[in-house]
Amino acid sequence: MHDARDAEDAHLLERGDHATLIAAYEDVVVQRCLIATRGNEGYDVAQNVFLRLLQELDRGRRYTVPYRVVVHKVVDWTVKEHFAGRPTDVALPEGWDPVDESDPYAEVDDSDLDALWADLAEGDRRVLDLRYVQGLEIDEIAERLGKTRNAVDQALHRAHDKLRTLIGDG
Amino acid sequence: MAEVTRLFDEWAAALARGEQPDPRPILAKAGAGAGELAAMMERFLRARPRAEPDPERVERVRAWIAHEAPLVQLRTRRGVRRDEVVDAVMAEFELAAHKRPIVKRYYHRLESGQIDPARISRRLLVLLARVLDAPAAVVATWRPRPLDVSPAFRSASDVVFAQRAIAAPARARTDAEEDDEEVRALFVSGG
Repeated sequence: MHDARDAEDAHLLERGDHATLIAAYEDVVVQRCLIATRGNEGYDVAQNVFLRLLQELDRGRRYTVPYRVVVHKVVDWTVKEHFAGRPTDVALPEGWDPVDESDPYAEVDDSDLDALWADLAEGDRRVLDLRYVQGLEIDEIAERLGKTRNAVDQALHRAHDKLRTLIGDG
Repeated sequence: MAEVTRLFDEWAAALARGEQPDPRPILAKAGAGAGELAAMMERFLRARPRAEPDPERVERVRAWIAHEAPLVQLRTRRGVRRDEVVDAVMAEFELAAHKRPIVKRYYHRLESGQIDPARISRRLLVLLARVLDAPAAVVATWRPRPLDVSPAFRSASDVVFAQRAIAAPARARTDAEEDDEEVRALFVSGG
């Protein structure tokens, strides 16, 4: 599921279309910063993530990992620095590397939604796609798939259990 | 569905619909389950494919990169005059007429990046989002891109912007300018 977007990102990087690249990750960055900080400072942290991403792009940085990994790593670093009381409105350190093995935070979680719910039945995965990728209401999903509302609820329930298990394992 | 999973479901579905839900009140509703819900959200955000950005969003980021003030870009795109925003603030908070110039000055400072949008009150943020027809997160996150970055990071657009700034007539502001506690609370309370 990530592959197509990763290819688009690589193309945007090649074209130097930084605006589209940053706009594409606006939701992810803002959501993650607000979830991590739980306060208005999350907006400041998010803005500083965008500044850092742009600074890196302006420097002509090229990455050996997909750009989404870079985005998540910059969020990780910036949030970590925020909680350590260090300024986040400054550039990333020279030589910063999103897959630097000496960085304990460098582990790359490369799972996509398909991998996350790989153990679920095909029918359940279809429900999840309609709900969490296409944004349909539960009644709409039931109608489209010819299922009862309760069956859709059960499929979502199994997915949430899987997610909880993964978090517990992580 | 249990409360945590119901909240997760509503949040994830809202994201899929292209909304920009504020996760904080959702996490607050989870109570003791907030930590688990946050972990579920985090894991989902890492696994979910990014959305295709709409042209308006791309245009907004493009303007930010070019050092345009995001709130000004948003307002002009909507065809809203600054005075109309000021009028909306005056009406919404039932402020006395003599406070209008103070509101106008504070709003100008907000647009020009002299006030951090993350510090404006929740009530004002909701109003601005409504008047500018934009998600609150957009109003609160984006502010004019600063110039005080190391020279190695500066682009050609930075140089042009700096030249414009130098050429612009300086506006002297004195501490003697009228202020108001009620207006200040709206723009810099952070609450």
